[in-house]
Amino acid sequence: MSYRKAFIASNALMLAAFVWAFAKDFNAEWKPYQKQYYQMAADEMEKQAAAEKDEKKAAELKAEARKMRRTPLEIKQIIANDLGRFDRCVTCHVGMDEYTNTTLKNSFTEHPYKAHPKVDTALIKAHPFSKFGCTSCHSGQGLATQVDAAHGWVKHWEKPMLKGATIQGSCVKCHDNFETLKGAEIAAEGKKLFNKHGCQGCHAINGVGGVVSVELGDIADKPFERIAGYNFKKIRIDGKELPNEHHNNHWNLQNWIRAHLVNDPAAVTPNDPFAHYNAEPIPPSGMPDFREELSAEGAEAITTYLSGLTKEEIIPYRYHVTAAKAREPQLTGAANGKRVYEKYGCQGCHGLDAKQGRRRFNAAGEGQKEYDEKL
Amino acid sequence: MPTLDLEKIKKEIIDSQLWRSVFRGGVWKDTPRDRAGHIIGNVWLHLHPVKVRPRALEWLYTWGMGGISFALYLILTLTGVALMFYYRPTIGLAYRDIKDLEFAVTLGMFLRNAHRWAAQAMVVAVIAHMVRVFLTGAYKKPREFNWGIGVLLLTLTLFLSFTGYLLPWDQLAIWAVTVGTNMAGATPVLGNEGPLGSLMGMRINNDVRFTLLGGTMVGENTLLRFYVMHCVAVPLVVGILLILHFWRIRKDSFSAAPYVANEEKVDVWPHLVKREYIAAAATVIFIMIWSILQDAPLEAIANPNVTTNPSKAPWYFVGLQELLVYFDPWIAGVVMPGLIVVGLIAIPYIDTNPKGVGYYAWKERPFANTMFMLGVVMWFALIYIGYALRGPNYAWYWPWESWFLNKPAPPPTWSVFGPKGVGAYSMLIGIPLLGAVGAAWMLLPKLIQKELDGKKLMGGFLGLLALFAAVGMAMGRMNATQAGFLLFLVGASFYYGFVLPQRHIRTLDWPRYLVTMVLVTSTMSILLKMCASLAFDIKYVLTIPALSMNF
Repeated sequence: MSYRKAFIASNALMLAAFVWAFAKDFNAEWKPYQKQYYQMAADEMEKQAAAEKDEKKAAELKAEARKMRRTPLEIKQIIANDLGRFDRCVTCHVGMDEYTNTTLKNSFTEHPYKAHPKVDTALIKAHPFSKFGCTSCHSGQGLATQVDAAHGWVKHWEKPMLKGATIQGSCVKCHDNFETLKGAEIAAEGKKLFNKHGCQGCHAINGVGGVVSVELGDIADKPFERIAGYNFKKIRIDGKELPNEHHNNHWNLQNWIRAHLVNDPAAVTPNDPFAHYNAEPIPPSGMPDFREELSAEGAEAITTYLSGLTKEEIIPYRYHVTAAKAREPQLTGAANGKRVYEKYGCQGCHGLDAKQGRRRFNAAGEGQKEYDEKL
Repeated sequence: MPTLDLEKIKKEIIDSQLWRSVFRGGVWKDTPRDRAGHIIGNVWLHLHPVKVRPRALEWLYTWGMGGISFALYLILTLTGVALMFYYRPTIGLAYRDIKDLEFAVTLGMFLRNAHRWAAQAMVVAVIAHMVRVFLTGAYKKPREFNWGIGVLLLTLTLFLSFTGYLLPWDQLAIWAVTVGTNMAGATPVLGNEGPLGSLMGMRINNDVRFTLLGGTMVGENTLLRFYVMHCVAVPLVVGILLILHFWRIRKDSFSAAPYVANEEKVDVWPHLVKREYIAAAATVIFIMIWSILQDAPLEAIANPNVTTNPSKAPWYFVGLQELLVYFDPWIAGVVMPGLIVVGLIAIPYIDTNPKGVGYYAWKERPFANTMFMLGVVMWFALIYIGYALRGPNYAWYWPWESWFLNKPAPPPTWSVFGPKGVGAYSMLIGIPLLGAVGAAWMLLPKLIQKELDGKKLMGGFLGLLALFAAVGMAMGRMNATQAGFLLFLVGASFYYGFVLPQRHIRTLDWPRYLVTMVLVTSTMSILLKMCASLAFDIKYVLTIPALSMNF
């Protein structure tokens, strides 16, 4: 090839590569969603216009729809400065953008077009999007503008979007005594179960509780590096292995917490004498097996409660809501003994109602023999 | 109908006051005078001479690597300046700004990818350029000084890449930089963990590592320091050295030897310039396509409380990190790299062989080429081991092994001369013994005046080693792997460190001979220590606890 041809070819290739790069950048993942939303919203308006009897109003609606169709596409974001949130979720979830959809309501039923549910409830009214953003409750990667990255289903984003009931864990971040809080029932149930089964006997939360095992006051900040990824292979949720597709969609902190309640903990953290990921040998988990006592819903509730315990997220004091602490009953005699037994989490090892102690801790107790035989 | 006389219009435009004020020279007539004028009349092209030897145009001679390195430097400058518009070097904002580049800035991801990949490519290109210059003997008189500048430029290229590594402020960045800068803390005398450091009053908060980090750990000050070094200080120094480098090429003339005596040189315009353009364009296309197809890595935000396992330095320093397995940090992280840089700069002054300037000369320069290429191969082999074969806890994982696999703990190590070996005071034997072996190794090749038969020498040595291994195996103290390591690595060290110097450099004068042998023996010490450590679990050959010196 002559140099003249190479010159022309290389210039053409440089131009082509630049066009390719620009095209890739221009065809961003969020654009079709936003465009589709405007079209759907405009269709809706035109339908309304056709049904409208007042001609002037119909013309106005039609004009509005035309304008809607031609809205330039842009990255939209909610800046919740106090909470350090910059959430671009509304770039695709346009129905939840207060500037495009002022009523925050629409008739669409599918994500990402549908509006936020329950916008009329006190819950949402107390948490305006403009102040709280999206990720302070839902988690996920607010800065991202691609589907997988935004929902946190990528490597190295350790706070994927909270699914199902676990979102109530976010209430725990600001509401200190949330036992009676409306909308946080599952988290409250989780806290109740946590104390009922005596978890606090070994796991302190913010200094309250035993020191047998790790403190859980910042369990939501646990880095995946310390979970030791390979352990996800050992856990079973609903009797099934967790798929590793869509990073962090399944291999995440919530499932790690849940795994301790729906598996034998010794299977989740087995003996590791060579300390694969840590500097010192790891003994098998000494945590009792709670599968007998806890239902799947109970495990979900405790997971929900614990996934709101964070220290990493800095929440301004004025965002904290503290309800009155529940009063402790004044009891005497054996009843008081039972209260103390439960308050300090003795039942975690010695069993509910001081029966069926675990791991031979209560050899003299009623039912221990049967329990041992079952093991 | 008036005819359109294009030639006339062209001439009028070119002769206009506006055109002539901007471009020197009139209508192009493609005469030798025009071609020379094109080079001389242009400040940028003037970096070239007007004519070069035909060999300098050969791709197989130059590999185009010097020009490609410079093209990459320009790409890096352009993309780097563009990135500076979006980046703020504080720990609260840096990571977020990178996320913004990735998700919100038009072509932001492309820019970041191009900057990242061009930086990696530049490291490779500069090393390839050095290899080419070495193999064609281009560093020899009168170009010794320019080779030295080139070595400094290589070092600064690595340093630029290293300082840039921190800026995204993710886990990859903070731990790679922690690994890299911790080695500085092991500098002898100037580092708090280095030998003699504590004698000089070095503490964690006043030593050379502290100066580099602006603190006792990688933090806000480090980020700002690395940012300023990366964007301002080092590029400035590189720019100055580059000017010097180019100017000296021009003044010392390009190294290519003539094909035939009295051959005619060819015009740089257009013959060299067009080749340079194609090389630069190919580089740009390569970087662009790479940047489109692969995104630069970005891990979780930096967290000083969570150490990644394994933590690895940037790939071009992973070879030195791998040396940390075999040596103490002050040797692996300071002495060895120091010897590499000083040794490279010293090469033109110790290589007195006048042959092989300006062409590939394997036969005429057997010793120089063999030792240099051995060094290059070892550098990349160590990088490969550290990068691809080291898993969690820096244990050895073959490429086909999963990192989820449990590796047994390594067997306990021992030291030969020291408290954990022969005895607490065994250094009283070890120091003179190892000193004598070292001195003999250094001096014998030259003291034996006549050339020994290499084949017999090698055969005899390998025979002794095999005998030793056989006795060891018969006694049950050695297994086949250990014997293999012993024969291969110790045999190789003997061949490259004794047989070759004995054959080729015993005629050198003493100062040059000794400097060469220091470089040769320290290279071989790596092979020997790898053998001792990998096969025989020897941690140190000699320990002197009082001076915190271990070898």
